[in-house]
Amino acid sequence: MSFLVILEQRQGTVKKASVDVWCTVQHLAEVLGETDVCGLVMGGADKNIIRERCAGKGTIYMVNDAVFHDYCPECYAGTIVDMAGRTAAENIFFANTAMAKDLAPRIAMRLDAALASDCVIGVDGNGSLKAVTTMYAGTVSAVIENLRKSAVYTVAPRLCSFEARRENTVEILEIKAECLSGCNPALKEISYHKGRKDIAESDILVAGGRGVGSRENFALLESLAMSLGGAVGASRSAVDEGWRPHSEQIGQTGRSVAPKLYIACGISGAPQHLAGIAGAETVVAINRDRDAPIFKVADYGIIGDITEVVPLLERAVCEFQRMK
Amino acid sequence: MTLKNIAVCINQVPDTASGIEVVHGNPDIGYLNKVLNPYDEYAIEEAVRLKERLGEVMVTAFSVGDKKHYDVLRKALSMGADRACLVDGGRRDDSRSVAASLDKAIRFHYDGFPDLVVCGRESSDCNRAQVPLMLAEMLGVAAVAAVTELMYEDGVLRVWREIEGGMEEYVLYPPALISAEKGLNIPRKTNIKAVMKARKEPILHIDGSVEIASGVAYRGFSTIRRQKNCRIMETAEDLVRILHEERRIL
Repeated sequence: MSFLVILEQRQGTVKKASVDVWCTVQHLAEVLGETDVCGLVMGGADKNIIRERCAGKGTIYMVNDAVFHDYCPECYAGTIVDMAGRTAAENIFFANTAMAKDLAPRIAMRLDAALASDCVIGVDGNGSLKAVTTMYAGTVSAVIENLRKSAVYTVAPRLCSFEARRENTVEILEIKAECLSGCNPALKEISYHKGRKDIAESDILVAGGRGVGSRENFALLESLAMSLGGAVGASRSAVDEGWRPHSEQIGQTGRSVAPKLYIACGISGAPQHLAGIAGAETVVAINRDRDAPIFKVADYGIIGDITEVVPLLERAVCEFQRMK
Repeated sequence: MTLKNIAVCINQVPDTASGIEVVHGNPDIGYLNKVLNPYDEYAIEEAVRLKERLGEVMVTAFSVGDKKHYDVLRKALSMGADRACLVDGGRRDDSRSVAASLDKAIRFHYDGFPDLVVCGRESSDCNRAQVPLMLAEMLGVAAVAAVTELMYEDGVLRVWREIEGGMEEYVLYPPALISAEKGLNIPRKTNIKAVMKARKEPILHIDGSVEIASGVAYRGFSTIRRQKNCRIMETAEDLVRILHEERRIL
């Protein structure tokens, strides 16, 4: 059996979400046995860093060509289809990012493969690959059965908790790929938010909901996030109020995240929001209302007003860091 | 070249504002209200805005389903669509099958391609976001998913979409397909006059029956119960200490 993991490169770096998928697939391959794992990086990135982050066994192919630096739907799709043929990959894995959502259905159609979207992957009792997804606003789970010879998976964010293998024999091979000119659609421009960590790349997230009270009060969360080296996210209510941009919206209708620490401030905990943080390792909830559903999924809680508790928490964090 | 024909693909979904239980092995959705998929409202609104700006544009709504889908098709008409087509005879439990039914109906209706197809980013019941791009592949047209801004000028579409940590801008030449993300527009409220008028409009029926083998099957449904034991901390200092000691964070 052969697995192919698409390692998404942005600004010369492979995305953390892709590294987590690579690590999970490495573990699956070890459990399943007799499985080759290949990776594909389109665009140039530092090979030593890739080897260090994407450890284990297998070959990572890299299209080290400037025209592949930014996403081009047609060129990327063509290259992945080629690579799937070359590696005889039965299963192709993406991290469930904006690029994967745009690309995976195209690949599934071109390879006549099954498409399993936004799923958590693992091994079932019979020793086979198992994919589980959620539906109805994250309130129902379902097992996805692959009815084709091959399948494309977009994998929901989960921290990879498996210990890396001791030996790292990953080989990185440069390959050539064709970039067609006159692509339709053509990427014209790409702009990155400067000086702001993306919520999916951050190990620590401080997120606010309606209970934050105002756009101005989010400064308290910004400040706490800064002291923790994290990023700020928001619930749907806070985005709908216009307090934060849509790109920071966490939940089923926004983005799913899997940080090591998630601090939910003034978020009551709608099912859609809880679905979006299902991959978070440790959840802290700060809320006035001790009956808020968010406490049911939190590991630790503080009952109180955001404007009082958040500054106290920031002070405690700074104090702790100073003592360390 | 100008935009003349815009097809909008819409779906009816159960209102998932409340939690859903699994009863006898299947999600219990029968009692829920059925509504127009929220993302499809952005799709209809964008198509109608293009029509209002450019004139001479015919907006046609398509929905795969049975007569229960009359409601969402009439909603599209009341928002300003010119025509509504029920694509019947198709299966709704498989994305590939839905896309194939839409492909068949659209090709039949236009005897070729419309200039632009607009879909919602995903349906809010299953959140798979598969149909729009599958349909684009079947139609063989250029596509961009999850668009938050669209401009059309002189035969060229410029669209923007959010990616993690930034924005991408694309140029597309029709025939093309886009899927609409929240933020593309604010859908209009329909007035009673428009609703009454839409009620009298005929709904076209197009055969959407296709022979397509499913790619996947969904089984083993179960209600998700998220439950942790939350420890309430008295002070921020206690929380920081515990996070360090028990979770090795900080």
